[in-house]
Amino acid sequence: MTATQPVLEKSGARGPAKEGPMADIAWSNMPADAAQTDRARVLKKLGLHDALFRKLTFSAAIVVLLLLGGVILSLVQGSLPAIKAFGFGFLTSQAWNPVSEIFGATPAIYGTVVTSLIAMMLAVPVGLGVAVFLTELCPHPLRRPIGMAIELLAGIPSIIYGIWGLFMLAPFLQQYAQPALISAFADVPVLSTLFAGPPYGIGIMTAGLILGVMVLPFIASISRDVFDTVPPVLKEAASGVGCTTWEVVRHVVLPYTKTGVIGGVMLGLGRALGETMAVTFVIGNAHKISGSLIAPGTTISATIANEFTEAVGDVYTSALIELGLILFVITFFVLAFARLLLTRIERKEGA
Amino acid sequence: MMATPVPTADLPNKITVRNLDFFYGDHRALKDVTIGLPTNRVTAFIGPSGCGKSTLLRVLNRMYDLYPKQRAEGEVLLDGENILDPRVDLNLLRARVGMVFQKPTPFPMSIYDNIAFGIRLYEKLSKSALNQRVEDALRGAALWDEVKDKLHMSGLGLSGGQQQRLCIARSVAIQPEVILFDEPCSALDPISTAKVEELIDELSERYTIAIVTHNMQQAVRVSDYTAFMYLGELVEFGETDAVFANPREKRTQDYITGRFG
Repeated sequence: MTATQPVLEKSGARGPAKEGPMADIAWSNMPADAAQTDRARVLKKLGLHDALFRKLTFSAAIVVLLLLGGVILSLVQGSLPAIKAFGFGFLTSQAWNPVSEIFGATPAIYGTVVTSLIAMMLAVPVGLGVAVFLTELCPHPLRRPIGMAIELLAGIPSIIYGIWGLFMLAPFLQQYAQPALISAFADVPVLSTLFAGPPYGIGIMTAGLILGVMVLPFIASISRDVFDTVPPVLKEAASGVGCTTWEVVRHVVLPYTKTGVIGGVMLGLGRALGETMAVTFVIGNAHKISGSLIAPGTTISATIANEFTEAVGDVYTSALIELGLILFVITFFVLAFARLLLTRIERKEGA
Repeated sequence: MMATPVPTADLPNKITVRNLDFFYGDHRALKDVTIGLPTNRVTAFIGPSGCGKSTLLRVLNRMYDLYPKQRAEGEVLLDGENILDPRVDLNLLRARVGMVFQKPTPFPMSIYDNIAFGIRLYEKLSKSALNQRVEDALRGAALWDEVKDKLHMSGLGLSGGQQQRLCIARSVAIQPEVILFDEPCSALDPISTAKVEELIDELSERYTIAIVTHNMQQAVRVSDYTAFMYLGELVEFGETDAVFANPREKRTQDYITGRFG
């Protein structure tokens, strides 16, 4: 109570309270009336500015919602014929027959998920490794060149990855890597199924590798940026209890930055799920699920890109649009899952 | 609180610094510093900002080694062994010479793990022995009663003063021989400051302590010996009472009476 009293007296002495905080500025060295009108003018102007600012930002936010809603609506509307024709069977059927107009999404969904998983298995460890090296270990003169190489890698258009995959990577895999894998794992129970069949060069594995190379720079550069946000004094403190660099990274840098790192990984995964051009080049475009990773397959986006121009008939087109809707839903669930993961981590820490 | 004056010569020095020069790139931040830190005593470093006191502290556990372009020349002997020798195991050195920073630096993990983390690096203890060590460390840092019911909550959720005591507990838990305090109270309120100072006093029974501080009353309160540094040089070093009551150097006199700095 005693502490607040002087404040009350003070504001009483300064005149009517309704003038607000702006009043203090003009008060001191101006005649009362002039100050009053001046203040009112300034306040009115500021009020207008603020209202305008609020409306502008609000409408920007609304635009995003409208766009999102519009995309969902048109996807749903476009896929209605296919939904009517196949129902839930679309999700479980492996059929893809444009002549008799019977379609199923399973091979495309399977290809999308599996190629993305292969990509993440390659890109996450390498990307994090690059980021750790750049922030913790790299000698100073090397930091910029390697950092720039990563940015450049991220800037290569996907069509170029596609061409490179088709003309360089696929023949290499066909000639050397895949025969070696097939013979090496021929007698191992699970792996022999994963690497079965003739080495085509193109297929699920090749697409996954290309995707891995494509998302690697994203994960590396985002992780590097978030690793840079760790306060040096925190790393010093960890070194101060006798940690090696590895222990500092493992116990301090990664836990401190996990939100950002998971965000980066999810962004990479989002890109891998949706990537079209490069995958279309090297996946082989076969509408069937094969147990083997080196067999040709397809993904949702590759199917759409390949077949949209030749899709005749409502049901065919609609089936492709429904594939797009499914991709949209998968991406949504990936992001939702990432959110959930983060919330659970935070709750576990009691933060 | 003040230790009974013991002549420096009678005490073995835990750390002896001889002719130490330190460079940030081309800038020479320490100039020919020679000083000894007596075993199980508190030595305070005072002086205006930029005088090199924190730099000196960071040499004592070679924290500067994390950064390129920083180098030290001269000799720093810990129990007679020169720690500036490139062959010295840095992780072991830093486990022997603990450090508490200006800002509290709890690790992003639970209160319990903040303490147990450092212990686990060097010792394999049973669950109950580890629990005991954590409890001892937290009691040692006068924090146990405040956190014993929330050991598995994040260390980041504590108040600033509690976080700083957690960091002290973390240093104590790995049983170092020397603890370096780099302005440990500058981000704390007076009550937390009093607790930390009390703690430093208790710790000095078992550890050799060096503390950098901008607060001269604090230096008087916690330290047995005081070193006054100015522009990278060690100007005066002696028993705290003597330095503050009868400084030999005019620059020391000016600084502690507030005429500059």
